[in-house]
Amino acid sequence: MAIRINPTLIDELNSFGAEDVQLCYHCGDCSAVCQHSGEIFNFPRKSMRRLQMGLEQKIETTFEPWLCYYCGQCSTQCPREADPGESMMSLRRWLISRYDFTGIARQFFRSKLVEVLSIIGVAILTGLFLVIYGFSGGNLQIYDGEGAFLPSTFIHKFDLLIGSVMAIFLLINAIRMWYFTMIKGVDFNIPWWYWLKNIFTLPLHFFTQKRYAECESKNKSGIFMPWLIHLGLMLGYAIMLVLVMVYIEELQYGPDIIWKVHIFGYLASIGLIIGTVYFIRNRLIKSKYVQYKKSHDTDWVFVCLLFLIVLTGIAQHILHRTGIPYWANIIYVIHLMCVVPWLLRMPFSKWAHLVYRPLAMYFAAVYTDAKEKQEVISGSYAISVK
Amino acid sequence: MCGTNIAKIIDAEAVKKSVSKLPHVELVETYKYMCSNPGQEMIIHHIKEHKLNRIVVAACSPNMHERTFRAALRKAGINQYLFEMANIREQCSWVHDDPKDATEKAIALTRAAIQRVELHDSLESLSVEMCPTSLVIGGGIAGMTAALELADAGHSVYLVEKNNHLGGNLARVDLTAPYLYSARDLLTERITRIKTIDHIHLHLNSKVTELTGFVGNFRAKIYEQNGKTDGNEKLTEVKIGNVVVCTGYKEFDASRITHYGYGKLPNVITSFELEKMIREGKIETKEGKIPKYVAIIHCVGSRSLEFHGYCSRVCCMTALKYAHEIKSANAKSYISDIYIDMHAFGKGHEDFYRRSSEAKTLFLMYEKNDRPVIRRAGPKDDCEMLIEVNEKLSGETIEIPADLIVLMVGMEAREDSAEVARLVNISQDKEGWFIESHPKLEPVATTTDGIFIAGTCVAPKDIPDTVAQARAAAARILAKISKGKIEVDAIYSEVDPDLCSGCRFCNKLCPFSAIEFDEKEVHSHVIAAMCKACGVCVAACPSSAIKGRHFTDSQVFAQIDGLMEVVHFAE
Repeated sequence: MAIRINPTLIDELNSFGAEDVQLCYHCGDCSAVCQHSGEIFNFPRKSMRRLQMGLEQKIETTFEPWLCYYCGQCSTQCPREADPGESMMSLRRWLISRYDFTGIARQFFRSKLVEVLSIIGVAILTGLFLVIYGFSGGNLQIYDGEGAFLPSTFIHKFDLLIGSVMAIFLLINAIRMWYFTMIKGVDFNIPWWYWLKNIFTLPLHFFTQKRYAECESKNKSGIFMPWLIHLGLMLGYAIMLVLVMVYIEELQYGPDIIWKVHIFGYLASIGLIIGTVYFIRNRLIKSKYVQYKKSHDTDWVFVCLLFLIVLTGIAQHILHRTGIPYWANIIYVIHLMCVVPWLLRMPFSKWAHLVYRPLAMYFAAVYTDAKEKQEVISGSYAISVK
Repeated sequence: MCGTNIAKIIDAEAVKKSVSKLPHVELVETYKYMCSNPGQEMIIHHIKEHKLNRIVVAACSPNMHERTFRAALRKAGINQYLFEMANIREQCSWVHDDPKDATEKAIALTRAAIQRVELHDSLESLSVEMCPTSLVIGGGIAGMTAALELADAGHSVYLVEKNNHLGGNLARVDLTAPYLYSARDLLTERITRIKTIDHIHLHLNSKVTELTGFVGNFRAKIYEQNGKTDGNEKLTEVKIGNVVVCTGYKEFDASRITHYGYGKLPNVITSFELEKMIREGKIETKEGKIPKYVAIIHCVGSRSLEFHGYCSRVCCMTALKYAHEIKSANAKSYISDIYIDMHAFGKGHEDFYRRSSEAKTLFLMYEKNDRPVIRRAGPKDDCEMLIEVNEKLSGETIEIPADLIVLMVGMEAREDSAEVARLVNISQDKEGWFIESHPKLEPVATTTDGIFIAGTCVAPKDIPDTVAQARAAAARILAKISKGKIEVDAIYSEVDPDLCSGCRFCNKLCPFSAIEFDEKEVHSHVIAAMCKACGVCVAACPSSAIKGRHFTDSQVFAQIDGLMEVVHFAE
């Protein structure tokens, strides 16, 4: 059965950042130089072709783009300057918008204005809500405990609410990803125990991001800088997320703060500060790493908002510890005005790759096992997988 | 000895020793490189010193060095035809590996040459007048360029065009690839100049109906029909020295490929039909809508087993030009370019290809003999037609939406090319293109002296190549004109009128149309300037009335005798 191509996709892709994909003439240099491209999962060339042709059915049902960690070697090698690395990145943006059932992600990727206005809107609503709540029974001069402007018990509930909303969206999108790639996109049977057998890949890739490190190893960049800093940043906000979701009451509370909680807070802050500064700097100076040469609007929103969150978080902590609760409370409101839109935006932005990447590694392991079995059954040669 | 080329197999001293004993042999010398200047000097010196009257050189092929040694003979003051070469390199040392047998064969070949040269006559070359006026057949870009080139040198030209206007196929084109120059601009300047130069005699609506004579002395009949009504005909007879044939090409008939639906599906059009739309400034479907999806299919009639195996050379870049023009006219159109291979070989072509990629042309590749299939789309589709193709780069079978499909029809030889070939006595290849006398070294000359070919009547080519050929043909003619006279090789056939019975066998057989028949005297006559000395008439003449100069019966028999004599090898 012939697959209908969509010649208009190429225009749509522009807004996702793939501006040069049409320059590709399929020499295959990119796939040859790629650390992760192999026999079963072959990219970026195949994806480039599908993008050019607008083979939406094929693009939507593969998790291959998630196996690329964007080291940028392909873009450096490309003789046509078609920028396969950035095209893969754009493809991931496009996939995020496809996994998202609400259509919000699509709007964000396509329009800077929509995204910025929604963030400002959510921030103002959050601010208004917090200020009204604060004045309804609290005192701006008290930071926590009895009569506090924003008591930690309230913030705990508030955090859990926002966190759940985010998690629900993310979960639905992840299920959609699974349905697209492993149900619609697979035409052979996958035994259930393969799912069980490979489950360890999920935490492994989530916590180590070892594929990213493998990418970097080819780049000869000292101690794998982007990977290490990215890992620090990710672990930083993962720890922070746990702290504010679970231990907020201990974290926010006054002078008798538990050091075990506190030390994690400091560690996470260091990771976040270094990470955000490093990435903002790289994107600004378009550093030697290819992956920072082009920045989509959504990339800027992510790092800038995170930077603001870290700054205001640290500021309110210092003000609180140095005994200026009035200003600590004001900065706290601003801090939360940044946190809420940032969290709510997650399922609709590039950040969702936090979930999609480990999932894709998991799917890939399951898929490879099943495919190999399939090959053995059908009598063809076993495939060696990297 | 040709260095070691000959000497490593053949014992030159043994050959020398053997042929020295033959009657009438005055002197035998061996030398390392006889063709070198000292070698030639040696021959000249010996001719003068020993008063030699016949020379044989046993060395390489006469194709290689016969001219060299003939020149040496002229320098030494004896007739250049009193010379014979024995080819003991190509026909002996290069093809044998047994030194003894090879040496024996070399002796036999040399002996044959010696026995032949004894019978050689002194022959004199002829020279004929060169008429400085030329005839150019075809008024396209090639014909106009050749005519102007000749006219600019001050010579008269008859330019004969079949249609009622100049410009040929180029006049049907809007812009040209890859620099997007306007075809009209290219033509207008030329047409204007042709019409203002007095010594270019332009014949529109005309055909050359007869061409007789030989190089420098042709006579042509130009039949001119002005207007569609009869009675306005004119027959002009002109005297000319050279002819340039620039009759061009015709486009492939797209309806021959049935599953493209050309002629049945209204919005499947040929490249020339699109050119017409572009010139009229409106690219739209038959229903008058602006096409959202435009597909361009390459190699229609070209590079296929069923139709033409060759590449038409211009279509790839023309297709890119269309992509550019369609996109300029309707920015919202999407263009799918369905090709076999992208041939971007010329100057500026690769850049042009890149620019088309940048303009988001979708390039889709199909396998040479697995052509796309076009069908009408269903009512639910947002397009008129669907093209099914096995796309090579993705490995997928895909459907391409299309509202307008442009078929890049290739070039083929014109229907009347056989008629033209007969008229000017040149040959055609299996595809109908005119054959040049050497594809690399003589690209515009033909096997008939004084007849030149240029442009797309020779093979598909683009405008720069066509113009280059037209100018090359003109340059060849100008060289001949400036010489004033043409030398004719002294080797040609002669009819003895006393023996000729007037049967006219030879007239039909001569591949160069070099034999005339004298009705009054009732005998045939060879036009020396046209004869190539192939010998067909000599062999065919039932009365043995025709003699091939320099290839007489006695000379040939003497050579055979020399070869056949058993060589007694004295150690």
